[in-house]
Amino acid sequence: MGTALEESRLNLPGPFAVGAYARKLQEEMRKRARVQLIGEVTGIGRSKVQAYFELRDGDGAVPCAIWLNDLEKAGLTEGALRDGAEVVIAGGPDYYPGGGQASPSFCFRATDVRLAGEGDLIARLEALRKQLRSEGLFELQKQLRRPRLPKTIGVVTAETGAARRDLLAGLERRGWAGELIWAFAPVQDRRAAPAIAMAIQDLAARPEVEAIVVTRGGGSLADLWAFCDETLCRTVAMLRVPVVSAVGHERDSTLIDDVAAVACSTPTHAAEAAVPLDCLAARESLERCALALRRAGEGAIDIRSRHLVHLARGPARALQRERGKLNQKIREIRAASERGLSQRVSSQQRIGTVVLERARRRAAGADLEKRREALRQAMVTLRAHEPERTLERGYALVEGEVGEPVTSAAAAAAAAGVKLRFADGRVQARTEGDVERET
Amino acid sequence: MSERPESYEAAVERLEEIIDRLDSGQAGLRETLDLCKEGKELVNYCAAELDEVGEGLKELRLDDLAAKLEASPGVN
Repeated sequence: MGTALEESRLNLPGPFAVGAYARKLQEEMRKRARVQLIGEVTGIGRSKVQAYFELRDGDGAVPCAIWLNDLEKAGLTEGALRDGAEVVIAGGPDYYPGGGQASPSFCFRATDVRLAGEGDLIARLEALRKQLRSEGLFELQKQLRRPRLPKTIGVVTAETGAARRDLLAGLERRGWAGELIWAFAPVQDRRAAPAIAMAIQDLAARPEVEAIVVTRGGGSLADLWAFCDETLCRTVAMLRVPVVSAVGHERDSTLIDDVAAVACSTPTHAAEAAVPLDCLAARESLERCALALRRAGEGAIDIRSRHLVHLARGPARALQRERGKLNQKIREIRAASERGLSQRVSSQQRIGTVVLERARRRAAGADLEKRREALRQAMVTLRAHEPERTLERGYALVEGEVGEPVTSAAAAAAAAGVKLRFADGRVQARTEGDVERET
Repeated sequence: MSERPESYEAAVERLEEIIDRLDSGQAGLRETLDLCKEGKELVNYCAAELDEVGEGLKELRLDDLAAKLEASPGVN
């Protein structure tokens, strides 16, 4: 080991005086190409002759210095070169060799500085966007399941500002009144990105949080630059809880919009994305479902019970039908039978009449003679009993005043006057004395 | 339905299936009554879920929750 070291010492040039080497180093540094750098200013400080700061981004930093007279020539407004400012500086590396008392130092010597413009930021943003997309980080959040009805939502935003109010209004319009966990954080300076990333991680660590909303109002791209922070965006992309971003207005496009599960143009839209279910409409829909179920259940029973009743009546109906047919047949048979009988009777009657008529005609001659003889006999008998025949033999008939027969002595005695009827006429008579009884 | 639905959306999805089946008129009486029973339980579940986010907004601060967590005994 010692031998190797000795050999290497023997092979190296020098030793040189360090002061001369330091100056040589300075010369070499100053020969380097002049370039522009873009980044965020941090740790700004000033001496009597120069301003110094670090220019950094997510990947690294360079110590920078600018002579005050160069800074003045750059024309920045008072205070523009401040911590958190995104700037573009022009210059090259430099080395201060130090001195007897002063310490040596390296810096990027800026000869010009300007605030980063929209174009600079967009260019950086596009490079970053390309990088994250190529790593597939835009897709991870979009593959997460988003609950339609989260009960707890985490929100990262500024404590004051319209975004908070708009989000609350959006949730109210949704009819959602669950649990909100506010994680307030700065949303616009160099502290913003780390604070937002930490808030998101803390919210995601809570098991009850089902969705996270990150929101702030509109502004320039420089104002929204924290939401393009690479570390923040990588954090969001890897999260297992869906993140809804609503940063800036519709025209603003930040990197967090690309990696989030859903990007919204306003906090109100973010509320709708965080709670996809319109709770008011869902309640109405649920009532309709309940009604449909009730109707289906009742209807199924009703239809079937009616069907059962119908079926139960089937045999009786069939029987009735058959009975009707039978009755019809009976009626038809009876009618046919009556028709036949009537025809036969009528035929028999006709025959009978003819026979009787013939018999009557046959018997009529003898019968008539017999009847005439009987009549003669009857007339003889009748005449024998007529009172006139008796009167002709000398008897008289006693009659009352009005011609009624007086048939007893008592009746004759009682009558005031009587008539005696003879064969040739009547005479008035008078009774006297009492009744003389026959002995 | 003997098991609790996985989520509100799963419950609604099943409920829509049930209503479609009932509307088709092809379900027999036993199936209809079973579907109605399951549907009613799903409706009750969904209503309870909606009630949970309908009884007043509760606002908490992450800082307070973190502080409470740190102060609570048994942690760490």
